[in-house]
Amino acid sequence: MEKSLFSPNWYRAQDARPCLRSHARIHRHHYRGQLWYVLQDRTSGRFLRFTPAAYLVISLMNGQRTVQEIWDLSCERLGDDVLTQDEMISLLAQLHQSDVLRGDGIPDLAESSERARREGRRKKIMGLINPLAVRIPLLDPDRFLAATMPAIRPLMSWVGALIFVAVVASAAVLAGLNWPRLTNNIADRVLAAESILLLLLTYPFVKAIHELGHGYVLKRLGGEVHEMGLMFLVFLPVPYVDASDTAALRHKWQRALVGAAGILVEAFLASLALFVWLNAEEGMVRAIAFNVMLIGGVSTLLFNGNPLLRFDGYYVFSDLIEAPNLGSRSNRYLGYLIQRHLFGVEHPEPPATAPGEARWLIFYSIASFCYRIFIMTVIISVVATKFFVIGVVLALWAIVLMLGVPLGKQLRFLFTSPVLRRNRRRALGVTSGIIASVVMLVMLVPLPYSTVTEGVVWTPDESTVFAGAAGVVNELIAQPNAYVAAGEPLIRLQDDFLDARVKVLEAQAAELRLRYAARDTFDPAEAKMVQERLQLAEADLDLTLERQRDLLVHSETDGRFVVPRAADLPGRFVRQGEVLSFVSKQEDSVVRVVVPEDQADVVRNRVRSVELKFQNRVTMTVSAEINREIPALSNTLPSLALSTLGGGEIVLDPTDTNQVRTISRLLHLELKPASTEHLPAMGSRVYVRFTHGAEPLALRLYRGIRQVFLRRFNV
Amino acid sequence: MSDVSGSWTLPPLVYHPERPERREGWVDRLEATVTAWPVVVRARLGDPRVARLVASVNALEDQHLNMDEHALQTSTEALRVRLRRDGFSLDAVAEAFALVREVSRRTLGLRHYDVQLAGGYAMLNGMVAEMDTGEGKTLTATLTAATAALAGTPVHVVTVNDYLAKRDAENMGPLYKALGLTVGTIVHGLQPPQRQAAYGCDITYTSNKEIAFDYLRDRIALGNQPSSLARKLKRVQGSRQGEGTVMRGLKFAIVDEADSVLVDEARTPLIISRETPPDREQQWAETSLDLVKQLEIDRDYKILRTERRVELTRAGRDRLAGLGDELGGIWRSSVRREESARQALTALHLFQKGDHYLVQDDKVQIVDEYSGRIMADRSWSEGLHQLVEAKEGCTVTGQKVPMARITYQRFFRRYQRLAGMTGTAREVSRELWAVYRLPATRIATNRPTQRRHMRTRILKSAELKWQAIAERAAELSAGGHAVLIGTRSVVASETLSELLTDAGLEHEVLNAAQDKHEAEIIAKAGELGRITVATNMAGRGVDIPVDERVLEKDGLHVILSERHDASRIDRQLAGRCGRHGEPGAVQAMLSLEDPLLELIYPFIIRWTSALPRYCRNPVALFVFWRAQRRAERAHSSARRALLKQDQKLGDLLAFSGGLE
Repeated sequence: MEKSLFSPNWYRAQDARPCLRSHARIHRHHYRGQLWYVLQDRTSGRFLRFTPAAYLVISLMNGQRTVQEIWDLSCERLGDDVLTQDEMISLLAQLHQSDVLRGDGIPDLAESSERARREGRRKKIMGLINPLAVRIPLLDPDRFLAATMPAIRPLMSWVGALIFVAVVASAAVLAGLNWPRLTNNIADRVLAAESILLLLLTYPFVKAIHELGHGYVLKRLGGEVHEMGLMFLVFLPVPYVDASDTAALRHKWQRALVGAAGILVEAFLASLALFVWLNAEEGMVRAIAFNVMLIGGVSTLLFNGNPLLRFDGYYVFSDLIEAPNLGSRSNRYLGYLIQRHLFGVEHPEPPATAPGEARWLIFYSIASFCYRIFIMTVIISVVATKFFVIGVVLALWAIVLMLGVPLGKQLRFLFTSPVLRRNRRRALGVTSGIIASVVMLVMLVPLPYSTVTEGVVWTPDESTVFAGAAGVVNELIAQPNAYVAAGEPLIRLQDDFLDARVKVLEAQAAELRLRYAARDTFDPAEAKMVQERLQLAEADLDLTLERQRDLLVHSETDGRFVVPRAADLPGRFVRQGEVLSFVSKQEDSVVRVVVPEDQADVVRNRVRSVELKFQNRVTMTVSAEINREIPALSNTLPSLALSTLGGGEIVLDPTDTNQVRTISRLLHLELKPASTEHLPAMGSRVYVRFTHGAEPLALRLYRGIRQVFLRRFNV
Repeated sequence: MSDVSGSWTLPPLVYHPERPERREGWVDRLEATVTAWPVVVRARLGDPRVARLVASVNALEDQHLNMDEHALQTSTEALRVRLRRDGFSLDAVAEAFALVREVSRRTLGLRHYDVQLAGGYAMLNGMVAEMDTGEGKTLTATLTAATAALAGTPVHVVTVNDYLAKRDAENMGPLYKALGLTVGTIVHGLQPPQRQAAYGCDITYTSNKEIAFDYLRDRIALGNQPSSLARKLKRVQGSRQGEGTVMRGLKFAIVDEADSVLVDEARTPLIISRETPPDREQQWAETSLDLVKQLEIDRDYKILRTERRVELTRAGRDRLAGLGDELGGIWRSSVRREESARQALTALHLFQKGDHYLVQDDKVQIVDEYSGRIMADRSWSEGLHQLVEAKEGCTVTGQKVPMARITYQRFFRRYQRLAGMTGTAREVSRELWAVYRLPATRIATNRPTQRRHMRTRILKSAELKWQAIAERAAELSAGGHAVLIGTRSVVASETLSELLTDAGLEHEVLNAAQDKHEAEIIAKAGELGRITVATNMAGRGVDIPVDERVLEKDGLHVILSERHDASRIDRQLAGRCGRHGEPGAVQAMLSLEDPLLELIYPFIIRWTSALPRYCRNPVALFVFWRAQRRAERAHSSARRALLKQDQKLGDLLAFSGGLE
């Protein structure tokens, strides 16, 4: 917008005789070579930053001059930099809102108390919106800090700095040397329940020392600390100090040092903890030391020291690059760029930028957004694996706050902002264009497409070892998992009844044989009868003997003797024909896979390659090919290991009492792995990935919708 | 009933009572939107107490009928005490209404109908009473005003113009006087002492403009701090601030034509200003105009007509810089120089004589685009007026620098109790609730209306329309009717007037240029065979007496030559006929070239125009309906935006005590 010099509201302001309250102090700062004036309100701890032009105006406020006189004077002195009347009014309003302005009139108490009430309510609402970052001020540590200063002061000197460098450097070397010991199985160690408890107990103490670090450094540099309290970061009480006095420090290195003090203290603590950890015996002390290192290291690296999140690192960073208020300004700057270049707004309000700052702002805006999303995703996924409900709640909260709210604001801006009055069509066009192209990209560009399902390792039928006869397993003759040759006995079954029956039949045959021998030659008919009965008894005996022989189970092929649940087998009764064990030739092993009905079509018709992954060796993949396909879909499973009962993913029909039928229908495939070397044992579950080449998302979506329609409406 | 201990405690005396400005957050706005529905529905269903009230009043009627003057006076005195003590309890109100009715019958010869009692009661409860046009709103208001005044509340009866204020105060005066109440009238041109006296009366009749300006002047006198404490402190300091105020605060207002004042004119800014030295302004304005006459359109500046503003290009600015350097002085400052140039270009290209202003007696007079009236004593701000004066070669006057400003919207929200009456409220009832917390209730008509609505004619072009209107007027006039033709703008009324003159038809024109004869023209508009052309300013509160002979021939015939931005205004104009249950007829004659249709995509109009005759009419009617809806919405959201903006401005200006 082009600036208009005059304001229709000027008459309301012109007669006021403002002056600054005595508690307001103004500091001169340089940011990126530009002069700024920072006004500090010593009662509220607020800071306002002004340009030299605004500073001139403020300096003219002496309680005697009217606003009109001040403006006239500033017009004479400032030339083209003159503040417009509207800008004057905003400046006065800003000062008034910060309670640093004193007028000549009777103060409007109702107005200021209303303002205070509103501010209080706003804070409360912020607390509600963001319940994880509530601050409870508790005490004024200034006197404590002053009293203990003599003890701490020697540390904040060149000698102290040398000691610090020596300790941290040696700790860093030691940490490097002991790296494997330190990081071995770190996730399990950290997430163990007692470890978390200890971490929760240690954390506030470490942070308290950290915060005191800020306090001491600030005090040493001449600032004051008047508030200390508790903050709840993700429900975890963490102490904080109000170090807003830092902004009054003149040199950026001083400001950065106050910001970095916490990190330095933690680094020092972590170094000391490392020494303890290396030298202490296993026990409580060592565990605490480990946790201190963890806090000092991980939390500093990922959170506190990281400039992309609004913690200490951010303030240090923004002080060092001389870009105060980096976070919000970077977002505004990005918005400005979008308005100007994408939406074609001719004179968007440019956020004040110093030379060379633009790059930082763009970088910071994008990087910090991505990092915040990343950190949030990590936190949520870690929490969700342990406490699902909390994880979901956190995720919703994060989505609303980090995506929903900004998105809503953007949409509102797009549709209602007066800035876009003339360019709304273009802005909407550009926005929908970008969204459309992203959607197009996602929908139309072919993306790798695959189906992942589960299978079990299986052996072809012929090498299954069946029980030749019913009986109780007596012993395993061959050792399980041993290699056996064809014809080698594997398992001995025992059937006492069969033995008895052999005896009976033998006796019967013997009797008949005797009767035949003692036959009456004169009665050929009877002789014939006895002979017939003898033949019958002998045949019976042969049969029974054969069944007895069958009690010894032999291997039909060469291979490895595989007995599922070998220890359970002896003493168990088995029926004839029951599967007892397997003799597996490794190269013969196949993988039987079931594919849900939805995916059956693509798996049947469009498979480029098949890969297997094993549960016990997640990093290894083995390629495979489809060996056999059962042409119909069925409701059975090759192995219960694939069902949810067995730890798989297929849901069984709960109404089926035998628990073998599945709810949905499945396509059965048999895969032949390219190599069987690392194939897990018979019956193990494997993951199978069918790659279908690349396909755009749109087609997949279409197929999915088609299937839904087919299923629900038969169209 | 209140007990004895509390019964004689009078309400606390408050210096300049008014409702403090509430700062509305989004919760308040949400609440207003949500509660609007139930409130509107409830108000529509009517108050169950009304039937009881009417019954009690009627019951008391006989008793009062037989009282002599002295007895009436005594019971009035007793009633005053009772009202003051008990407040507006149903019984007390019933007694008051009965009394007012009786006194009215005796003094004015007018007896309030039952529906008027209902209307009066609604207003006493802080509602807007929607009563059909011609149902005697003026008389209804006496019930409320007198009751409130008897209870000791200063009452302001706010009308839309001085004429109505004066007329109503005069007509109703005897009634109030008989009740022992004083009545004051505020019209334009009164001096402060007279105003103070008028505001000191129990009941004050005034126009919305006068009262708002009086309020503003008081605020200036009080130094923006109407609090008693502040005033006392000032006095201790020896300041004479706060003297010379005329009003007693904002206690209770009855707003006549509530929708017009509270909604249509809500955005009108009322500004009190002082003047800067004219010679300096003349020099500045002439230099500015000279400067921009050296600029070239499109190269040096662009005119954005839709937004009504001018934009300087880079080339234009450079050129101005060069020219400014030669001139020196304030022209050296780029901000001031470019500001002046933009204003000068705006004056040259965006303000047209006839449309936006008229030149009369060496003066530039602003024409209100809304009503077509000349806004006397109004001027544009930031030097624009001076530039237009210089452009037209008039004497350049001093610039008016605002000293205080308010909108009706903000002003009426400050009343502690607000009531209204109008013929047309239902369209804006939700807005009345959201903004003023005024529920609108419908009051039944006393006698069934005999107004006939004739088929709307929609013609293809404006020319055809005016022709058709002229023919129709001639036909009706010859047939012994009286015709009132409503137009939207002064220009339209003049176009029509020319056509009528060409056709040799005698007629009267009532528009901005001639509003001095307003009352006279209105008085004659109902005569046999008379044709009157009026801009929509004639639509409100005007009671056109219709000749007996005309009434025999189905009454006054109103022709609406255009639809207005709000259907309420059309209904108001239609309400000029068929008043008090008399016969009357209304017909709209529109064209597809009417300005209202600019809100609709042109291709839709073209399609409509291309339709065959028999289906064009319904489609065109729908298109008009859409356009009207759109215009109403746009106005409504503009009013909402203004309210929000005012609030923001108040926050911004908090350091100087906020807005007036």
